[in-house]
Amino acid sequence: MPKKKVLVAMSGGVDSSVALSLLIDEGYECIGVTMKLWENKDPISNVVRNSNCNTVEAINGAKMVCDRLGVHHYTLDFMDIFKKNVVDDFSKEYLTGRTPNPCVRCNSIVKWDTLLQQADIFGIDYISTGHYARVQHEDNASYLLKGADELKDQSYMLWQINPEALKRTLLPLGEITKSETRDYAKARGLETAKTPESMDLCFVSGDDYSKFLNEIMPEKMTSVTAGNIMDEAGEVVGEHTGFTNYTIGQRKGIGVAFPEPRYVKRINPMDNSIVIARKDAMYADHCYASQLNWFVEPPIEEMATFAQIRYNSKGSNATIVREDDNYRIDFNEPQLAVTPGQSIVFYEGNKLIGGGIIEVNS
Amino acid sequence: MKKIYLDIAATTPVDPKVATLMSQVMTQTFGNPSSIHKFGQESHSVIERARLQLATALSCEPGEIIFTGGGSESNNLVLQGILNSGDHIITSAYEHPAILNVIEALQTKGVESTLVNPNKDGVIDCLDVINAIQPNTKLISIMTVNNELGTINPIAKLGEISVENNILFHTDAVQMFGKLPMDLSEIHINFMSMSAHKLYGPKGVGALYIRQGNKLPAILHGGGQENDLRPGTENIPGIAGFGLAAELATENLPTNIENILELEKRFLNALTENSIEFTRHCTSHIPGLMNISFHDVLSKPLLMNLDMEGVAISAGSACASGTLKASKVLLQMGVSEKLASESVRISLGKLHTKDDVDSAIQKIIELITRLKITAEINA
Repeated sequence: MPKKKVLVAMSGGVDSSVALSLLIDEGYECIGVTMKLWENKDPISNVVRNSNCNTVEAINGAKMVCDRLGVHHYTLDFMDIFKKNVVDDFSKEYLTGRTPNPCVRCNSIVKWDTLLQQADIFGIDYISTGHYARVQHEDNASYLLKGADELKDQSYMLWQINPEALKRTLLPLGEITKSETRDYAKARGLETAKTPESMDLCFVSGDDYSKFLNEIMPEKMTSVTAGNIMDEAGEVVGEHTGFTNYTIGQRKGIGVAFPEPRYVKRINPMDNSIVIARKDAMYADHCYASQLNWFVEPPIEEMATFAQIRYNSKGSNATIVREDDNYRIDFNEPQLAVTPGQSIVFYEGNKLIGGGIIEVNS
Repeated sequence: MKKIYLDIAATTPVDPKVATLMSQVMTQTFGNPSSIHKFGQESHSVIERARLQLATALSCEPGEIIFTGGGSESNNLVLQGILNSGDHIITSAYEHPAILNVIEALQTKGVESTLVNPNKDGVIDCLDVINAIQPNTKLISIMTVNNELGTINPIAKLGEISVENNILFHTDAVQMFGKLPMDLSEIHINFMSMSAHKLYGPKGVGALYIRQGNKLPAILHGGGQENDLRPGTENIPGIAGFGLAAELATENLPTNIENILELEKRFLNALTENSIEFTRHCTSHIPGLMNISFHDVLSKPLLMNLDMEGVAISAGSACASGTLKASKVLLQMGVSEKLASESVRISLGKLHTKDDVDSAIQKIIELITRLKITAEINA
């Protein structure tokens, strides 16, 4: 029987390098691809600057590893798709006072859907990435499970993947820990063994969101001006520098002094204000979710679950309540700084059963 | 799986005879050519012998050849050496980046330029060049053979035009040298760039022909090697390899051309016999270089899929990171965007056999059929 073929998305980091090597160990025939997603260009001179995203070094790293392991490597230009689906959405969300999660969109639309189309063109069965999560393939469906490395589990970032696409997905790093990955890469002499962990958004250099938004849409950002900071009673207590500079739950750098810390509770683009509150007023016992994606049958009325409202947050037992087309999530333990635009992900034990985008109102 | 390399226009494998000589020179002739002693004399002779081989191949004087680090360096020596602020250059829009990007850099220093587009046959029209001449035109630089299309430009005629108008003439002959006969005693060229790795020689070695009486300033400064134009201790094995490669190419040129044309015919006939719909761009070209658009098959997936099947071809022009765009050259010629995004370059050379062509054709036909089916399903 011919070997099953896998298209492996190679960022040039240690994780995807090890994923590739593990798949080869398991007997798959692999092809490595690096997706060119973004060029950080100086808006005035048009000169390409360094960014965290597919640098020449990263692409070279991916190429070296593929060459060492004897597989073909190609660089695919997905810049248009990435800009349209991820960057433009990111900018639009910020302008409406929300805090988007571009990695989630990038995973589902670019890394899965687009890569699968590419796999079809190559006549390839599966796709794979270096994410720390497990895929459990059953007869009629595939499920995402949390990765074996609890500290590194990335299933939260993958909730938006099309369930059909998941059927053709292999995630070899789900069974091992990050330190095992590093050890493996070192033992095999993979050139990317020591690549640093990527932390920031790949397309925003230096994690400077304001600068990025100003560069990407200077015209629209002219309407983002200073405005009022208010307390919950509606009293003006200070001035903000433009609402896109703030996120829900932010404490530092608000620019108002109180004996007790204040947090950003709401961002109101309509009247150009932000509302701050004490920590005890930052908890919510429920929220709503939009754009839901289910790996199981969606609830008809109610469903008990474990809900996580941000990557690396503790989460809480919760009940998903369906009211016609609206999904309300009632938390057993009130959650701090529930942020519109971020993802809410539902688990049943280790199994990711669905997710959606957080909304404050139905 | 046997790998079949059909990308001779990108680079060639090193001829085994060349490799043997280079390895011999590398291990045995290590003296510094500038040294007075016997070790140095031996190395010096290796270089001069290679210069003689190139001069013989081109019917010019050995003193008119200098060795460089490659075609790009040769181009830079000429353009940077000749053009000063206020000067004008006429070149073609489809030159190699080793011309176009040099000009772009020189523009910031006040050099003016006119880029002539290729005509619909992929050739630079002499009239267009004449019409571009200005009082301050100092240099005409038109490539002998275009690397993507394989089309041959009217170099002899352009030489005459440059003499009549008292303008210097440079040609980037990297894609021509070793594939077509070239007699520099018959035509007027002031400067000509060449590269070893396109004619079964090593990478990292080039040459520049500088017609007697023409002078160039150095752009790098150091010891006086290569008539002061290429300082640094010489790449002796590379130069030796280039010399032999040039000799072999010239000696066997008529036979090579005949064989390659035969293979080319075999290839194209097989496509027709199997009812593959395609357009071969440009009517006239160097032997073995085929720029083909397979109808309704995008070049990128075809190239990558073929590569996975062990057949190497190219498309558009690859940039450093290896991503591909629709062929700019074909667009300049007025070819439709669709055909330009379907164009691939398949280039055959002297080491290919009928078997190579037959196996490659079989893979190409299989893939085109499969890709068309996939495209239909996705649509």
